[in-house]
Amino acid sequence: MIILSYLVVGAIAFAFILFSKSHKAMNAFFILHTLAFLAIGLYALLTTGVPAFENGSKYFYVDHLSIYEVLIAALLFFLASVYANGYVESLMQAQELHKNNLKIFYTVFSLLLTTVTLAFFSDNLALFWIFAELTTVFSAALVAILSAKENIDAAIKYIFIASGAMLFSFIGLIFLYTLSGEVLGSGTLNWTVLVENAALFSPKTLTASFVFLFIGFAAKSGVFPFHTWLPDAHSKAPSAVSAILSGVLLNIGMYGILRMYAVVRQTQAENLVSQFLLGFGLLTIAVAVLNMLLQKNLKMLIAFSSVEHMGVLLLGIGIGTPLALFWTLFYVLAHSLTKASLFFSAGILHRQYESNLIQDIRDVFSLQPIAGWGFVIGSFAIVGMPPFPIFSAKFFILLEAFGFSKSLVLAVLLLLVIASTAFARFLIEAFTRSSKKAGTEDLETPVFPYVVRNGMKFPIISIILMILALGFFFPEPLENLLNEIVYELGYL
Amino acid sequence: MISSFLADPAFLENIIRILFVFVLITAAFTLSTRNIASLLTVYTIQSLMLVLISMSLYMIEGSQTLLAIAALTLVSKVLLIPIFINLIGEKIKISRDLKFNYLEPTASLLVSMGLILLAYVFLSGFFDEFILGKLFFMGAVIGLSLTLMGMLVIFSRKKVITKVIGYLTMENGVLLFGIFVADLPFIIEILIVIDLMILVLLTTILAIGLDSTREEYHQRLHTLKIWSGGEDQ
Repeated sequence: MIILSYLVVGAIAFAFILFSKSHKAMNAFFILHTLAFLAIGLYALLTTGVPAFENGSKYFYVDHLSIYEVLIAALLFFLASVYANGYVESLMQAQELHKNNLKIFYTVFSLLLTTVTLAFFSDNLALFWIFAELTTVFSAALVAILSAKENIDAAIKYIFIASGAMLFSFIGLIFLYTLSGEVLGSGTLNWTVLVENAALFSPKTLTASFVFLFIGFAAKSGVFPFHTWLPDAHSKAPSAVSAILSGVLLNIGMYGILRMYAVVRQTQAENLVSQFLLGFGLLTIAVAVLNMLLQKNLKMLIAFSSVEHMGVLLLGIGIGTPLALFWTLFYVLAHSLTKASLFFSAGILHRQYESNLIQDIRDVFSLQPIAGWGFVIGSFAIVGMPPFPIFSAKFFILLEAFGFSKSLVLAVLLLLVIASTAFARFLIEAFTRSSKKAGTEDLETPVFPYVVRNGMKFPIISIILMILALGFFFPEPLENLLNEIVYELGYL
Repeated sequence: MISSFLADPAFLENIIRILFVFVLITAAFTLSTRNIASLLTVYTIQSLMLVLISMSLYMIEGSQTLLAIAALTLVSKVLLIPIFINLIGEKIKISRDLKFNYLEPTASLLVSMGLILLAYVFLSGFFDEFILGKLFFMGAVIGLSLTLMGMLVIFSRKKVITKVIGYLTMENGVLLFGIFVADLPFIIEILIVIDLMILVLLTTILAIGLDSTREEYHQRLHTLKIWSGGEDQ
């Protein structure tokens, strides 16, 4: 019933957006779409008995992990849709978004939400693969929607790297299918069956199929060395889309890796695979922070920070203890929210200065106080300062890693310090610059503040309130939910 | 006379082996051909080889899924996708993709030889655990090699249309690998083809502005009308 209601709501929202004439109407229907998805998710979580299969078929499976991811996705889409109301209006006024593309923007955005949701609920891994592929295609269309050459270049790069790597994932699926066929008699790609019988599988072939699957999922999450598309796509996309790309779409790849790791960890391959994940996690963090350090482009900085955080998530998965998993899951939520607020603030700053470059930013706090403070607080939160939730998540993940390898923890800590330095450097250089102090620049025409439109401040303020709340209190329902997930993945 | 040949599995297996060689030849052409129209023809022939391979395998094994895959491949990859790319190609008037990134054709042919050997060594390490006939093992090797060579095309070619053909070659490789290693449910094959078509549709429409040699399409980029422009005409 849950999947069916998602599909029906998705189809209705799609139709309404398709037939509406004005921007206001399209935006309103899209907001309703996201709210309806949030409501269905909450309803499913609170009232229905999960984990359960959908409609008796084995294709879709609703458990706490999928509901958790879907709720995060729906929440971020809701915030992005509210933000889009004013933001898209500005883009059209600046003639960056052509009005003929407006309908494509909203219909594809709505389709993206529906496919993301279906991807998380897929039990059959081939089905998950196909929905994940579709999310790549739809989100690439959103990156290209501004039709400037650099946007189309970024979108093309994104499609070819992510989709090409996903083909290797499919080879992994074929391996897995054959492997399960050898052991169980008939081949299956249903995650629930695989995780039940994982202990019977040959570790060697399971590792091979994990590595192939990892290539695709890693490319989708922007893990080194498949991350090269990410900074371009995330920084060139309209900010409302960037928030979704970083906050939701990266989670899809991580979700795939997590599900597969839950299968692999029951066999003797666990050790090898977890070292594999730790290695890639560390490399990803290292490459990202080195790119962040001297970064001159605001959105590039945020995009590389996403790469860094995917590295931390890989570490969390690779450590493989129940506590590490618990905090990794919490980290996903904290990162998605914080990253969205950064992109939303960056979007306002980009409207103000019509540039993302460090040298064009000045007088931030007098021109754009909300976006300025939003970015400052968001930066503190994203580098993991207390009391923000990423701090506790990072702290406990590294604490668990300590039992694994001390040198690993030290290396990661060093890299995290560099990441903080990168943000600090950017903030000090860009946000303290004032045009009044520099004597000669007084002659320039004064900069007028960009009038922030409806709905663009609300997402930033509400996210900051949310992450502050999450930093101070750990809500009990959330704790129970995360514990359920850890239990259902077979960690306890 | 012919029917007695077709009933003989040993004969069919040899035919499949010869078709493998043809598939590799088409892949080598994809790496080196500069003319877009010939590239598309090469892709069409490659897909046709896949149709023939799954037909021959059907005659050996008798599995209905193989027949369905052959039909699906014929309709989607031999007819629909090449016709669509051809339409776009004519519209935007590109005839050649002259430039190569990183690798010139000769070098990429050498690299792909290495990749084929690599695929063989890698798979022979794993397939001792599966009960897989010699022919099927060979099919898996050729499939994986084709996927890797397709990836090489995406890396080494500049125009988006050529990259699309590289992606399609990769997908053909995965299909070949799938045919020989596992009988996946047919529904999955259909979904993959749908995904492939959406991807080809999007990338070629995006390519209109980037690849075209005609000035008007470049202008379209600046005036930010590419989407509507691409669909109206």
